[in-house]
Amino acid sequence: MSARGLPSTLRTDFRDDVQLLDSGFVRFWAAMALLIALILPLVLTNFWTGVANQVLIAVVGALALNLLMGTTGQISLGHAGFVAAGAFTVAALIAHVDAPIGVTLPAAAVVGAVLGVLVGLPALRLKGLYLAVSTLAAHFVIIVGVGQYQSAISYGSGFTIPAPSIFGLEIGSERAWYFVLLPIALGAILLNLNWLRSAYGRAWMAIRHRDVAAEALGINVALYKLLAFSASTSLTCVAGALWAYHTAFVSVEAFEFDMLIQYLAMVIIGGLGSVLGTCLGAVFVVVLPHVISILADRIPFLSGLGGKSFDLQVGVFGAAMLLFLIMEPRGLAGIWARVRFYFQLWPFKYRAWES
Amino acid sequence: MNLLVVILIQASFYALLGMGYVLIYRATRVLNLAHGDLMVFGAYLFFQALAMSGGSLPLAIVAAALGAALLGALVYLGVMRPLASYPVAVGVLATIALGLVLRTIVTLIWSAQTRYPAELLGRSGRPIALFAGVSVSLIDTLIIAAAIAAIVGFPLLLRLSTVGIEMRGVAENAVLAAQRGINIHRINAMSWAAATVMAAVAGIFFSIKSRLGPDIWYVGLAGFAPALIGGMDSLRGVLIGAVIVAAAEVLAALYIAPQVALAAPFLVLLVALWIRPWGIFGSREELERI
Repeated sequence: MSARGLPSTLRTDFRDDVQLLDSGFVRFWAAMALLIALILPLVLTNFWTGVANQVLIAVVGALALNLLMGTTGQISLGHAGFVAAGAFTVAALIAHVDAPIGVTLPAAAVVGAVLGVLVGLPALRLKGLYLAVSTLAAHFVIIVGVGQYQSAISYGSGFTIPAPSIFGLEIGSERAWYFVLLPIALGAILLNLNWLRSAYGRAWMAIRHRDVAAEALGINVALYKLLAFSASTSLTCVAGALWAYHTAFVSVEAFEFDMLIQYLAMVIIGGLGSVLGTCLGAVFVVVLPHVISILADRIPFLSGLGGKSFDLQVGVFGAAMLLFLIMEPRGLAGIWARVRFYFQLWPFKYRAWES
Repeated sequence: MNLLVVILIQASFYALLGMGYVLIYRATRVLNLAHGDLMVFGAYLFFQALAMSGGSLPLAIVAAALGAALLGALVYLGVMRPLASYPVAVGVLATIALGLVLRTIVTLIWSAQTRYPAELLGRSGRPIALFAGVSVSLIDTLIIAAAIAAIVGFPLLLRLSTVGIEMRGVAENAVLAAQRGINIHRINAMSWAAATVMAAVAGIFFSIKSRLGPDIWYVGLAGFAPALIGGMDSLRGVLIGAVIVAAAEVLAALYIAPQVALAAPFLVLLVALWIRPWGIFGSREELERI
């Protein structure tokens, strides 16, 4: 371990390369983040705890999208549809058999895994543009499908989801939700970090860089692409199921194009391929609308826009995505890395290796 | 007979939109998901010019075309040029973001209120009765003329003019073209400008025939169906794609239900992607089998 907590350049064991907490710096900030996450609900008001809960659900969904787009390099425009599939799995199980959360969450994961294989099959043949179009088609097919189901079962009005109970305790308040969602989000983060440092992650990243070369290295490209789709969609459906329980109401209108754009904004602004970046992106995208509406109330120039704050939000998302794509493709994670190295290396300016 | 004319008008509309997709795809290898918003923007420029000029159709069309050309070139230089070296997916995502920004600008300038530019036009928007119960309005004739001009004129331009030959060169192999001294960014900016003008003309047509609002972008989005069916890099493919999509849409509206007509372009597209994913005249480079 070298000075100032930089990861050591001298590595004597492959195990050093895959360590999760590889330096004092990372250990310190991971502990700080955990501490802040634990204190947060005690400080925040009920409304902002609700926002924090939305962030935690978004983290799970965005990590799933990042797995597909950032790690494996497969573009997916069907994400909102997959979230809808998860939410409607919960709604259907509750409407028909009144299933408890211990059944619905795993069921959503299984539905997602199967759906991922179905959508992933065309991805074995399609790339880039055509993959984008076919996943977008999947989005529309799912939305139309669940829309039909909704109008057939609930006469079009949507499904009310009762508050779930875990071990006999009903999760009603936002604060209770926070302590349920936090471990789930942390679990999703750990799961993704572990995937990245295992053979799966290396295979996926190899496919992202060049699938022909990956094939030549002995990676079963078809299998790993399907695995990526399946794992991503499964995790997305879990996020959708959590969303359904937390919102307590499922209706197809919530899963339109806007939701897809929000998730795309999270992974792009956060930084494609980075777990930390995806989490930062989720915070940014979920919190930003609330900040804009607060600003719109306070600042005289913006308050003139009045009812347009929603349009303003959409525009700010678009502008932020464009700026990040053009000027900082590594996203918030890239900015964080730059700031971090600036302080770690000070007074020196450059480091001699790429980490 | 009237049915054929209706299909022809609709096909002209789709041909103009689809050619925009093809031009942009050939220039920058990007499926431009902001095309619908470029269309809306052009239509609003037309509406603004129409209101300012007191209902003069030619003046408004020229002003909107000039504005659209400028917008297209700016979009290329500001957004697509910096992303030139990135994977295709990044470009597609950038056009989604661009669409959001354009939509917000439109809403902030002109508000989300639905407008009817036809009201400003007065008499010139009324249908003219032709033979055998066929009636065509001035704007219908204009859209057909514009589509024919684009379909006939553009391949000629590509074949005969220096700019056209340079455009083909850039579409074929941008690196080689650059090494032969062609300013590829100027050429690509011109492609984007031409595509945006075509989108604006389609938008003008739609806003006069129907209505104008920021939400009509999805009509422009439907234009990628003819482009994909015909083949993303083929100008003549667009013509056939446009006729197929227009026929499907008009016939679905007539014989099944108007709601089905909205989804018709995408349904046809799905079937086409199933059978012939690279389009009727498209090249097969994008596809691969593992």
